[in-house]
Amino acid sequence: MSSSRRGVGLSAFSTTALNNAYANHGTTLRTAHLESLRTQLSVFQQLLHQFSITHAKEIRSNPTFRAEFARMCNAIGVDPLASSHTSKDSKSGGSFWSQMLGGSVNDFYFELAVRVVEVCRNYRGENGGLMGIEDVKRVVRKGRGVVGGGIEVSDDDVRRAVKSLEPLGSGFTIIDIGSTAMIRSVPKELSTDQSTVLEAVQIQGFVTVSMLQINLSWEKARAGAVIEDLVADSLLWVDLQVEDETEYWTPGFIHHSDGT
Amino acid sequence: MPDPLPPAYTNETFPFPPHYSFPPFFTLQPNPLTRTSQLQSWSSLILSYTRHHRLSTLSVVESYNTPLFHNPSLNRRLPTSDIREILTYMSSKDGGERVEWIGKHGKDGGAGGKCWVYWRRPEEWADVLESWVERTGQKGVVLTLYEIGEGDATVGAEFHGLDPELLQKSLGVLVKKGRAQIFGAGEDQLGVKFF
Repeated sequence: MSSSRRGVGLSAFSTTALNNAYANHGTTLRTAHLESLRTQLSVFQQLLHQFSITHAKEIRSNPTFRAEFARMCNAIGVDPLASSHTSKDSKSGGSFWSQMLGGSVNDFYFELAVRVVEVCRNYRGENGGLMGIEDVKRVVRKGRGVVGGGIEVSDDDVRRAVKSLEPLGSGFTIIDIGSTAMIRSVPKELSTDQSTVLEAVQIQGFVTVSMLQINLSWEKARAGAVIEDLVADSLLWVDLQVEDETEYWTPGFIHHSDGT
Repeated sequence: MPDPLPPAYTNETFPFPPHYSFPPFFTLQPNPLTRTSQLQSWSSLILSYTRHHRLSTLSVVESYNTPLFHNPSLNRRLPTSDIREILTYMSSKDGGERVEWIGKHGKDGGAGGKCWVYWRRPEEWADVLESWVERTGQKGVVLTLYEIGEGDATVGAEFHGLDPELLQKSLGVLVKKGRAQIFGAGEDQLGVKFF
């Protein structure tokens, strides 16, 4: 106990000194840059990007500097969540931001987490609180439709963001159904049978009672009961307009038809 | 001001939302939560569709066979009873009061089940009209309703080609607020003066 306490004291001491040094450095940089950059917004945005790369070290290590940087981005309408460099960096893994900001959970992820919560809540009625990461990314990418659209985030970003919600006990978790990673935003445990059906439904987008009977060798009653439960939880949609047998669709397929 | 809306005679195809290609979308869902979200999705589809095609009214029977409620490529269609339910939802407070049934028994199927669809409500049209008057400096000028709705001067304005009855409703909002006065005799000769 005493040793860890000593560690805290020491590190606090050295960080303060470091912080001060960086803060001073940061202030000098900021004032110098702001003066010239204010004149032209487009140039500013361009430079801001370069700035963020040149001073990645400060941004990573100094929370004050980082906060100021984020504030600056906000002030001129650059979305701090927008990182068009994700795709370029996808080979090296992790986004532009996670490389720049390091692995620590930070403001960026909190902000993304807020947006993930928003998205999941918006679509809860439609999908029963189970949403594929791909779908969440698609909506986040579209933005809120007002300013700063085109927000590229990686799977890694979304996973981190959801993870950052854990301490809040919000019930947001990522679960794997088959090969699909999904965000579950309602605290509900799925039974094995339910998971099996949700996995099966990913293949064609829908299942029927007889499909489950044939492929899983389930009794008719068992298949019917599981489907009924899933419909009651808003996890499946009913299509009554099929000639031979009612189909049960996953709402995840609503947005799959994009572009067809 | 650039006209943000396509003209009424547009040939551009309406971009249907992804829900439209999702077969169960055409079956009203038994689960109340799912159904609520479905009603909202239908509502926004109907509003953007009528806006795209500049429709101010919908008739249940007539619209039954239009692409709005019938997706031939999926072989799915919305039954008339479900169309009624959705429109009734849209006419409620929850649905944003974007629909108003015409005639007392509209929603029961009498009178053809016709309704106003307000992708802009009369009060919203009133605002549009008022800012147009202001912008073009026509305060105090007497205009006929025909001039506003069909005249050359309003070509390109959003309300050009607006249903005459809806136009009159919208102007009525301004009259109530004391911003305009309607006078004249006979449907075609109504004039309006803005203050």
